[in-house]
Amino acid sequence: MPDHTSNGMQCNEFDLVLADAIDGVLTGTELGRFQAHARSCKACGPLFAEAEAGRNWLKGLTEVEPPASLVNSILASTTGVDTQRLRATARPQPRVSWLERWQASFLEPIWAAVRQPRFAMSFGMAFFALSVGLTVAGVKPADISQISLRPAAIRHTYYSTRAQIVRRVDNVRFVYQLQALARQVRRNVTPAEPAQPKPKDNKNDTTQQPEQKQERNYSQIDDHLILASAPLGTSVFDPSNPDLSVVSVTTDRRFV
Amino acid sequence: MEDVQVVAMLVRRCIAGDSAAWEEIVQTYNRRIYNICYRFAGSGDDAEDLTQEVFIKMYRTLPSYDHTKGAFVTWVTTITRNLLVDHFRKGKQGRMTDSMDTASSDHEDAMPLSQQIPDQSAPPDAHVRSREVSETVHAALAKLSPELREAVILRDLQDLDYREIATVLKVPEGTVKSRINRGRAELARLLQRTYRQVM
Repeated sequence: MPDHTSNGMQCNEFDLVLADAIDGVLTGTELGRFQAHARSCKACGPLFAEAEAGRNWLKGLTEVEPPASLVNSILASTTGVDTQRLRATARPQPRVSWLERWQASFLEPIWAAVRQPRFAMSFGMAFFALSVGLTVAGVKPADISQISLRPAAIRHTYYSTRAQIVRRVDNVRFVYQLQALARQVRRNVTPAEPAQPKPKDNKNDTTQQPEQKQERNYSQIDDHLILASAPLGTSVFDPSNPDLSVVSVTTDRRFV
Repeated sequence: MEDVQVVAMLVRRCIAGDSAAWEEIVQTYNRRIYNICYRFAGSGDDAEDLTQEVFIKMYRTLPSYDHTKGAFVTWVTTITRNLLVDHFRKGKQGRMTDSMDTASSDHEDAMPLSQQIPDQSAPPDAHVRSREVSETVHAALAKLSPELREAVILRDLQDLDYREIATVLKVPEGTVKSRINRGRAELARLLQRTYRQVM
């Protein structure tokens, strides 16, 4: 750097006070000499401008934020003792009650399944079917709300229901006895009939068994009535008497 | 800047084994040291590692601190600067001062410096533009020689006075001022050159 002695300041002296001039602490005569040298010196003038510009650029820089984990890392690498305490302080774990834990582990998975559309549709259909069934059965919500769950009330309900069942069974038994008695009286007033020849049993043919059984069950009395109207001593199915017209007998119960 | 007696008491407690006192020191000075390391190294990851190393060294040499010889912040800054110099001597300088067309900061997007120059014709947002300018200046700062860089960082970013800087750098105050002047001027020339290329 060439030295200039114009205005009474040399370049090395200018370099020394340049920082002070930029800081604004140069005053009075020194400042005047400095400014005069800066204007006249082709080397120091641009240096002053560049240094001032550089300082302004640097002043525009802001502090950067250190990483959040830096303090913990430093403490871990130095003492290592307080790290756990610091981390616990930095990130306090919220207290979780047993109810919340149970809810998180048990209820939430169920609720997640329930929220699926397919399950919701099935649940809706089941609810609809249940409500229709209860309505048809005559069950009303008011009845359910009136149910008492006291032991005495439950005992009372049990005994009254049992008594109703016993009465119903007794009534049904009495009706069956009456029916049996009526059947016996009718059999006694009806004249005896010759035994019908049994059709040949074809043990291999089992296709007709249900019909035969059905006939026997339904028309035990009907057979008597029909056969009583046929001539005595002859059989409707006698093959030795071809003149006798064959009467087709039906056991339609509507005619009985 | 700091209450000498309070800091001296804090250091004494720390030497006596009070971990809370050490934690307070870390909380107080980690931001300053991280910023020095970040501006000097140019990389966030390097700055984090260097900051840890500084505190490890501080923790080991804390009994050697004498409050009658100078402020604690000067002592801390000296340790930081010495460690950064050692770091450079180990050969990381080449990686940190690549060409201007390489990204130099983890805080920046991985794009060349020429693309980080803000578009002055149509600034999208003042905040974004300010951030881009900061990143450009930060990248240019990494291009300075270590002697000039440390001087301007300590003066213009850490606001140490010339005497403190001279203590830290172990050079006369005149040399400090000269380095600061040359560092500022070199930075301005780098930025002018960069903007001229873009324009």
